[in-house]
Amino acid sequence: MRILNGCTLAVRALGVVSAAVAVAATPTRLAAQDLAIKNATIITIARGDIANGTILVRGGKITAVGTNVTIPAGVRTIDGTGKFVMPGLIDAHSHSALENGINEGTESVTPEVQVQIKNDDPVIYRALAGGVTAALLLHGSANTIGGQARVIKMRWGQSADEMLFKGAFRIVKFALGENVTQASSTAPADQRRFPMTRMGVEFTVRYWFQKAKEYDQEWKEYRDAVKTNANAMMPRRDLRLEALTDILHGDLKVHSHSYRGDEILMLIRVAEENGFKVHTFQHVLEGYKVADEIAKHGAMASTFADMWAYKAEAWDAIPFNMALMSQRGVVVSVNSDSDERIRRLYQEAGIGVRYGNMPVNEALKMVTLNPAKQLGVDKMVGTLETGKDGDIAVFSAHPFAPDAMVEYTIVDGKVLFERAEANTLRKIADKTQGGTR
Amino acid sequence: MHLKTKHLALFVATALVAASATNAAAQAGAGDEGTFFIKGGTVVNPGGQKMPNTNILVRNNRIVEMGPAAQPADAKVIDATGKYIYPGMIDANTGLGLGEVGGVQTMGLRTEMGEFNPHIRALVGLNVESELLGVTRMNGVTSAITSPTGGVISGQAALINTAGWTWEDLSVAKSAGMVINLPGSGGGGRGGGRGGRGGAAASPTLVADFERFMTESKEYNTARASGSAKLDLIYEAMRPLLNKQIPAIITANGEANIRAAVAFGEKWGIRVVISGASEAWKVRKFLADKKIPLILGSLESAPGDDVPYDEIYAQPGLLYEAGVKFAFSTGAGSNARHVAFHAALAMAYGLPSDGALKALTIWPAEIFGVEKEIGSIEKGKLANFFITTGDPMDLRTQVVEVFIKGRMLADDDRHSRLYAKYKSRPLPIKP
Repeated sequence: MRILNGCTLAVRALGVVSAAVAVAATPTRLAAQDLAIKNATIITIARGDIANGTILVRGGKITAVGTNVTIPAGVRTIDGTGKFVMPGLIDAHSHSALENGINEGTESVTPEVQVQIKNDDPVIYRALAGGVTAALLLHGSANTIGGQARVIKMRWGQSADEMLFKGAFRIVKFALGENVTQASSTAPADQRRFPMTRMGVEFTVRYWFQKAKEYDQEWKEYRDAVKTNANAMMPRRDLRLEALTDILHGDLKVHSHSYRGDEILMLIRVAEENGFKVHTFQHVLEGYKVADEIAKHGAMASTFADMWAYKAEAWDAIPFNMALMSQRGVVVSVNSDSDERIRRLYQEAGIGVRYGNMPVNEALKMVTLNPAKQLGVDKMVGTLETGKDGDIAVFSAHPFAPDAMVEYTIVDGKVLFERAEANTLRKIADKTQGGTR
Repeated sequence: MHLKTKHLALFVATALVAASATNAAAQAGAGDEGTFFIKGGTVVNPGGQKMPNTNILVRNNRIVEMGPAAQPADAKVIDATGKYIYPGMIDANTGLGLGEVGGVQTMGLRTEMGEFNPHIRALVGLNVESELLGVTRMNGVTSAITSPTGGVISGQAALINTAGWTWEDLSVAKSAGMVINLPGSGGGGRGGGRGGRGGAAASPTLVADFERFMTESKEYNTARASGSAKLDLIYEAMRPLLNKQIPAIITANGEANIRAAVAFGEKWGIRVVISGASEAWKVRKFLADKKIPLILGSLESAPGDDVPYDEIYAQPGLLYEAGVKFAFSTGAGSNARHVAFHAALAMAYGLPSDGALKALTIWPAEIFGVEKEIGSIEKGKLANFFITTGDPMDLRTQVVEVFIKGRMLADDDRHSRLYAKYKSRPLPIKP
């Protein structure tokens, strides 16, 4: 469904993994592999495209990229003739592969909670089949200040802990606008909760950061006092305020769900007044209206390609948003927020070329290097360069071409999706002899 | 539109001189209704060879000359040298013009009260100023089915152009088909209930009521044909369906529902188009033998947990090979403009390029009996086409101009307006 995004208030019903999708998780696939792809067009993102190039991965890391690469004997080699090799795609906004609830909706400020990974969600496999190798799994958008997120690699077949992308930022979800206010404004009068308006959302953020600053000061005073007075009274520990002080110190990065230009500007000003930074605006559908302000604050933006008109605050969403924000110096990613779009994130990036004529590789950055920056993993992934992780997607054609399909997806040098071995419709259909039974 | 003249100038300065002449001709509203001579472009028609260096003369809404035609003195000239001209694309299931902002209930009036509404007509409820129509046409989608929803018989779908002055002006087929949801067909096949728009709920009473409604409609039709019945607006609305003048558009997902829809058509002697059609690949030979056409539900759908990951993308290729005729659809309206990208997904997973073009143009025209009017670029047809820098299924392609009913459209859609406004916001003053 196009309209439903993961940020609805509903708790997701979780499916059962079936044999149809659970084909990739065999022990041999999880073993370390050295591999090379040769004779391919390599879209490095870092240094343009390499025609007829070779990429070599050893011990899970990229060890060589170029036209003059020697492939050691015994290394599995994929012939990339006619194919396009690019960094594994990164989805900067997803609620897939989570369980036990997406929204802690009881209160509007809950940064002390954290989402839980469902490592056997078939969406992980399907994301791999679309070339996606990493994602930010966010709390929902019911709360002004929601819960903490997880950054994962799509290590299909491994445990939830093993999927965690080590070294990534700690990230917390904020939310503005209709999702935060609607939960109350449409509820019976005796079940409503503050805030019900954008005005109330602004106050909620100010109120809690004032408390956080006081809490931070209390602890600072205690830590100073205890140096000279062993009997100094320790303040009462508060996990909610502790998370907020982490934001003040920059240890916990704010990713804020937002739609309208006014609320984006509001959060920027509240953040500046209270001494914290909005790291990335999520959705940010009217980001193009305040792109200069976003850029000046130093925030990044992760948006939808073409979603609009599904609710009032999405009425001014335009597909030129990506191009306009990029031109104004904002680091832009395009995300899925959906079990469906995560399967074809490359197409979503290409919308940025169709609308506003973004340079092709700038558009591809929106699903590689730019989301890597937003997740704090750009030193490890997001480009094809020596020393980076062996996270790679191999396409049958240029990812923006109409016949482009993912043939291999590689994570840490392991081939976790391989079209030739996948359980495809064609394989099943060939057995049914034209469909009559 | 994205590389239309004024934007083109911002990106490609060298093209400015040639392009500005065409922009002067484009007007707001329903477009400039002049005589146009589009010269030097490569025409790409479904099922045909590319036709390089083909001139097109447009007059009074229609294509009046094609080929090496000479340039008349009164025509506005559009230079399409180096560019491609494609027939306008058709989205075969939308709610275009019937709804605006999804979350605002009063802005979307697509579902009438009651179960049996053959007398309800989409066309008369259309808002020609819908912002959704504007953004749709600017990406080359020049026609669409727009349909009512809900109940067992939702009402009559219309086939419309996406630009025009009134709903009459928009209309290509006032009544293109009767939208029917068979009782008990809700939910679809095994694919996790991916049903597109609404199969009806199961209820023994509803099944019996529907049977009686069909029987009475048939009796009325016979009586009217012999001049022995008084006019009844509701049963009267069933006559074009029963007389095979229009097809039933039956929502059916999953093998059982698809077979039930075909059987329904055979029982009552009516033509059937299957809409949704998930898992149609399982009965593709059956559908080809019966010559049942399909309106595929949105390819931008997540599959059920127990099917191959590529089922939704790969199905059109299998249907094509089996000889089943089908059209693409987006189902809603806000992104009807991107129906070509649904076709691109199908191409990646096995549908040949020409099959994709057919399913976006001539096949939906044939399915709804308007192939003499739209669906390809031919002399005598409505001038519904668009000029591009390349394959419209390729995301890198830019749409340069759009013609609907012989009118050249301006960049006046909501998104182009906002783009132009904010692109021209002055840069901040450097301190």
